[in-house]
Amino acid sequence: MALAIKSNHFDRVKLKRRSLRAGAYAALGTLVVATLFPIFYMVVSSFKTQRELLIGGSVLPKEWHFENYPNMMDSIKFWDYVKNSLIICGITAVVCTTLAVFASYALIRFRFPGSGSLDIALILTQLIPGVMFLLPLYNLFLWVNTTFGIQLVNTYHGMVGVYVAFFLPISLFILRSFFATIPPELEEQGMVDGCSRLGAFLRLILPLCGPGLVATATTVFLYSWDELLFANVLTNNINTQTVSVGIRIFVGGQNLNQYHYIMAAATVVTLPVLLMFFFLQRQMISGLTSGAVKQ
Amino acid sequence: MSANVETLVEEPKKFAPAVISRPKGNGLWGQMKRNRLAYLLVAPVVVCMLLIHFLPGSLGVYMSFLALKQTTWRDFLGAPFIGLDNYATIFSSNNNPLAAGIQTAARNTFLFSIVTNVGTISVGLVAALLLNHQFRGRGFIRTLLLIPWVVPSFVVGILWGFMWRSDSGIVNTLITDWLHFTDQEHRIIWLQNENVFWAITVPTIWRSYPFTMILLLSGLQTVAVELYEAARIDGANAWKCFTDITLPMLKPVLAVIILWGVINSAYSFNLVATMFGNGGGYPGEWGDLLQPAINRQSFGTYLYGLGAASSTIFMLTMLLFVVVWYKVFRTSLTPGGGN
Repeated sequence: MALAIKSNHFDRVKLKRRSLRAGAYAALGTLVVATLFPIFYMVVSSFKTQRELLIGGSVLPKEWHFENYPNMMDSIKFWDYVKNSLIICGITAVVCTTLAVFASYALIRFRFPGSGSLDIALILTQLIPGVMFLLPLYNLFLWVNTTFGIQLVNTYHGMVGVYVAFFLPISLFILRSFFATIPPELEEQGMVDGCSRLGAFLRLILPLCGPGLVATATTVFLYSWDELLFANVLTNNINTQTVSVGIRIFVGGQNLNQYHYIMAAATVVTLPVLLMFFFLQRQMISGLTSGAVKQ
Repeated sequence: MSANVETLVEEPKKFAPAVISRPKGNGLWGQMKRNRLAYLLVAPVVVCMLLIHFLPGSLGVYMSFLALKQTTWRDFLGAPFIGLDNYATIFSSNNNPLAAGIQTAARNTFLFSIVTNVGTISVGLVAALLLNHQFRGRGFIRTLLLIPWVVPSFVVGILWGFMWRSDSGIVNTLITDWLHFTDQEHRIIWLQNENVFWAITVPTIWRSYPFTMILLLSGLQTVAVELYEAARIDGANAWKCFTDITLPMLKPVLAVIILWGVINSAYSFNLVATMFGNGGGYPGEWGDLLQPAINRQSFGTYLYGLGAASSTIFMLTMLLFVVVWYKVFRTSLTPGGGN
């Protein structure tokens, strides 16, 4: 686009360039407003009264009702759901990334009988509709309980197990493409210097993978934070239910139309992932884009 | 993958227990023994996939041949075997309400995948091209535009459902009360009839374009400026530069975006499930997608067998898509970089 236009001294070209620039800024401005407004509206709406929200017609609240937040948290013990989500998603992110680091390293540096099928199997896992294996998985969980006496439904470890398996394929895709950008000569040098293969990987490669690891862990956290279908069936009380399930208590039922609480809960649920994004965005972006774009 | 072959050839043999380019003739067992470490490293992943994806998934396919419904669901796999009857029901004519629901959901899912991906890639591309110029505050704007990407999709459903309300929703406040595009008597009822399709499509594009933008932006930054300069000298205009240089260079990134974009939109569940009341709420004839529809069929009306058959057809269709995708983009997928 305009970047390739080399210095040209005709006024007409200058004018054209200036108006192009103005148009680009206008387009960018519109995009920023359209992108941010819904989130802004969610936050300001959480400070309104229920009545004001049902009437509508304004953006900013007439009075700021900060007490909506403690009231909302008390009305359904929302903090318990947030706590469950933080525990389940946090453990999932750590376990998933750890397993994926080793597996993706094996996939990128080794070619072994079955590695090709593993690639295909990873894609296939993404094609099984969740609703298809939800009931079998639930029954499998019950079967494990009656056969081995290990409870999986309504437990943290049950949910973590499911989520780790769910998000391992995506973790592998991210990390594998990240490893592909690191030259293998590096470990070869390490092995010449007397490291074992795994040692060379752990000491020389892993320290370079910071952005890839952060990108993987945060992506897994985001995805599991956002999971609703399985959480809804595999947990059924406040001791293990996650935010995606908890927030639906405000949608319909006896709490129908309590929009001030819904918006407050939505803000609370968005805040942790938003903070994570602001602090880690540099690593997240470089980790996630290194794979999609090949130099 | 072929890139790995080349790089590993030079590896000193005595330090490398797992070299892929050994002389042939060692047999499968020998190869597997040499790759012990690799198998050990991928074992947890394989176990997870088998236990959580493929075992329940296979049971799901088997369920599609069973008369698994309200009266028999406690028997689970012991329910009567009825062959392809469930499949026949789905493909039966429209007077069967159970089948008709799935058929409209399939139509919507098809349209939804196309519209959301075209929308996401278009908006993402425009945003990426705008951000590909140097200007003050570029990094900050990029960060701002990325925010919807981290907003959970169940929040997106709740929030936009709230914004789409006809009487007091902010969308209608904007287009009727402030901009007067429609008058008060003709306030648009977004969550009804065909409008529902746009009510679920727009938020999906809003949430998914930022990530597409960031991928395209990193793709654009690999395009050498000299290419444009050379084209300029040859007399190419901006549009020609875009179609002949930018788009071909973006093809590998676009391949990845299209694969995951279509898979994600076809299987989307959260947005529809949260926008229309408590998940059990019917999103209407134009708002229903396959995952929520099958979910209602299975867990709402206990027609697990029928739901499993719908899922199986859905899965095979998506498999077909991936095969077609691979055929189309095979040449632009460079080896050694994963997907």
